[in-house]
Amino acid sequence: MSEHYPALLVILPLLASFFISAAGWLRPVYCFPLAVAALGSSLLVSLGVLGDVISGGPVSYWMGGWPPPWGIYYRVDYLNALVLAVVSAVGFVNLIAARPSVEKDFPEKAGPFYTLYVLFVTGLLGMVATGDAFNLYVLLEIAAITGYALIALGKGRAALSSLHYVFLGTIGACFYLLGVGYLYIITGSLNMEDIARLLPPLYDSKVVTVAFAILMVGVWLKMGFFPLHAWLPNAYTYAPSPVSSLVAPLMTKVMVYVMIRMVLTVFTVDFAFLVLRLNEVVVWLAVIAIVMGSLLALAEKDVKRMLTFIVVAEVGYMVGGFWLGNQAGFTGAVLHILNDALMTLCLFLAVGNIVHVKGDSRWESLPGLFRTMPWTMGALVVGALSIIGVPPTCGFFSKWYLLLGAIQGGHYGFLLALLFSSLVSVVLFFRIFEIGFFEPFGASHGSAHGEGGPAIQEAPLGMLVPLWMTALGLILVGLYTGEIVGRVIRHAVPGMML
Amino acid sequence: MKTLGLIIVGLVGAVLVSATVNFPPFGDPESPASLHVSPRYLEKTLEETAVPNAVTSVLADYRGFDTMFETTVIFCAGVACFLLLRVPRRRLPRPRQYRHRLTGLTFRIKEGGEVFLPLREFEPVDSIWTPHDFIIEKVCRYLIPFIQLFGLYVIAHGHHSPGGGFQGGVILGASIILLSVSHSLRTALKRMGEKISALFSPVGVFIFAGTGVLCLGLGYRFLDYQALATLLPVGPIMARSYGILLVEVGVGMAVMGTMVWIFKNLASRGRYDEGL
Repeated sequence: MSEHYPALLVILPLLASFFISAAGWLRPVYCFPLAVAALGSSLLVSLGVLGDVISGGPVSYWMGGWPPPWGIYYRVDYLNALVLAVVSAVGFVNLIAARPSVEKDFPEKAGPFYTLYVLFVTGLLGMVATGDAFNLYVLLEIAAITGYALIALGKGRAALSSLHYVFLGTIGACFYLLGVGYLYIITGSLNMEDIARLLPPLYDSKVVTVAFAILMVGVWLKMGFFPLHAWLPNAYTYAPSPVSSLVAPLMTKVMVYVMIRMVLTVFTVDFAFLVLRLNEVVVWLAVIAIVMGSLLALAEKDVKRMLTFIVVAEVGYMVGGFWLGNQAGFTGAVLHILNDALMTLCLFLAVGNIVHVKGDSRWESLPGLFRTMPWTMGALVVGALSIIGVPPTCGFFSKWYLLLGAIQGGHYGFLLALLFSSLVSVVLFFRIFEIGFFEPFGASHGSAHGEGGPAIQEAPLGMLVPLWMTALGLILVGLYTGEIVGRVIRHAVPGMML
Repeated sequence: MKTLGLIIVGLVGAVLVSATVNFPPFGDPESPASLHVSPRYLEKTLEETAVPNAVTSVLADYRGFDTMFETTVIFCAGVACFLLLRVPRRRLPRPRQYRHRLTGLTFRIKEGGEVFLPLREFEPVDSIWTPHDFIIEKVCRYLIPFIQLFGLYVIAHGHHSPGGGFQGGVILGASIILLSVSHSLRTALKRMGEKISALFSPVGVFIFAGTGVLCLGLGYRFLDYQALATLLPVGPIMARSYGILLVEVGVGMAVMGTMVWIFKNLASRGRYDEGL
């Protein structure tokens, strides 16, 4: 069975989504259990693949039994095995946390909601596992369309923000497709490794350069790399909270993975770093992204919206780390895909709990929250410490690798940007802690002596358990960083960067 | 801002066009695209899949995995339209209108009012109901069965001529849409209800993916149709051809159901009355 894992990873949730859709019409109560079973099984399979890769090296799977480059094949190596595990884990944990808000906000649409939810995760898993450049585009479409619909489900300006996202996301996907089309015209292949084999004699051709440029811009647009981030804050803010905590941790990270995969496997590191010599420019772009993301976050007075700008800054971390072009930077970038997905999930889940209880996450709703929602705020603190980069949370370790990479690469602009962004994060989060901890002083001071203040008013257990699983996961991943880097990421580093 | 946008568009266009200088000439038989993978598709399609139409064999077999997800994209679009547009029934405004078929008199039932009309003589109508045009109604009524027959032909004949599940499904879906345009949405709903069209699309994609899983269950790889040879009284090559037909039927169902489903939601803004 284990040789079918790469296919099962995508097929199990895909099949389940049809059953969920049908159950939405016939037996709505089965929708949620089916979704849990689908994503649970794909989590198990992705862990199985990760185990296979660690013990026996990369695995591949020929769809339809056709050998590459004629058929489509899936290839899981050290790099994407890790990302697959992260995507399925985040999708699964967030799904469990989503149930109370779905039942509260749109109970009659639970069937289609879970259908699109599972399909979104399917699309992302396929994008990560595939070894075919066009297949990646098809799966990108699935993740994008489901993402647009889920985001538009929110209240207020959600539909408009989603429309902006549709426009810019479509441009991004088109640019990617155009890049793949250019490559197909001059190589005649869509298989990633096959293209990489055919490209070297064509490096002088203008077509390859333009294909690379247009493909990168498309991917950057989809990941919200500053200044192409304009769609991101509104889309993630107005989306319903279970959707924000699904899309924000996953979509940007998977697009960072796609960027790394394209440079590593299709265009090869030699082309990107030695022929085009783009690394210096892109790292400076990342510096701007980090600084601007952090500064824009400072201006926000809504926790959820503030987090969306932190996402913009974190994209800069990963892009910059990768383009530093040395082992530490690469390790930091890949480790940060894992860590940032978990940190963002933790923070967005915590904000989701606040929204579930209070109705929104503006600063006016925060006073006294440490007293009324101690568990939620506790997890928020863990997530915040991880974003700031305090050991032993995982955020510290990836930031450490990134800093190391900046020093080794002699790129002090990136180093300063990382430190600046960490300091800004301290300000951002301690401002929230201050409001949540001290603000209601005047109002509840009198009763604090008598009754003991307002009663605890927590989010339901179904939302707290996944939140704390994530928060503990942050610390666990931090403690096992050595294992993850040594057993997985080290093998993914391309030879040129060693 | 507008000028800046135009300048950027112009620049990107110029870059894209400038790269075409290094393209192989148009229609060049020596271009990489026609030398690398396509020769096998063109030369071996008949002996490897028993399908003379190379487009169909590439679409549904060599790169069938892509096509499965393309069909899923269509399914996603249908679900997305439903999720965003459909107004839940309990939130619909309650006053209703009934029209007496013979006399054309219309009754309006107030909110909460209950009536016992002989339902055979009355039909529910909406406030913006207009009488059907006699000629259009009759012409379309005779046309639709032939359109549907042609749709089935296009699906079934995809192996030998241009066509296949997508095209045939669109024709079938268009026939139902024609019914609702020429008659009324209610007439179309009577022929193909909301639930039916909403179930057609997942069932269609399920036939596609399920065929793949069947192959996997028979000990072959996902979507390796030659596995079907163990179930059918044919050889592995012919089994591929049958597998392609099976998934084309699934695609046709999914496309038809989704088209009708999206049309109903869009045309009536999710209310399923006469929005047109």
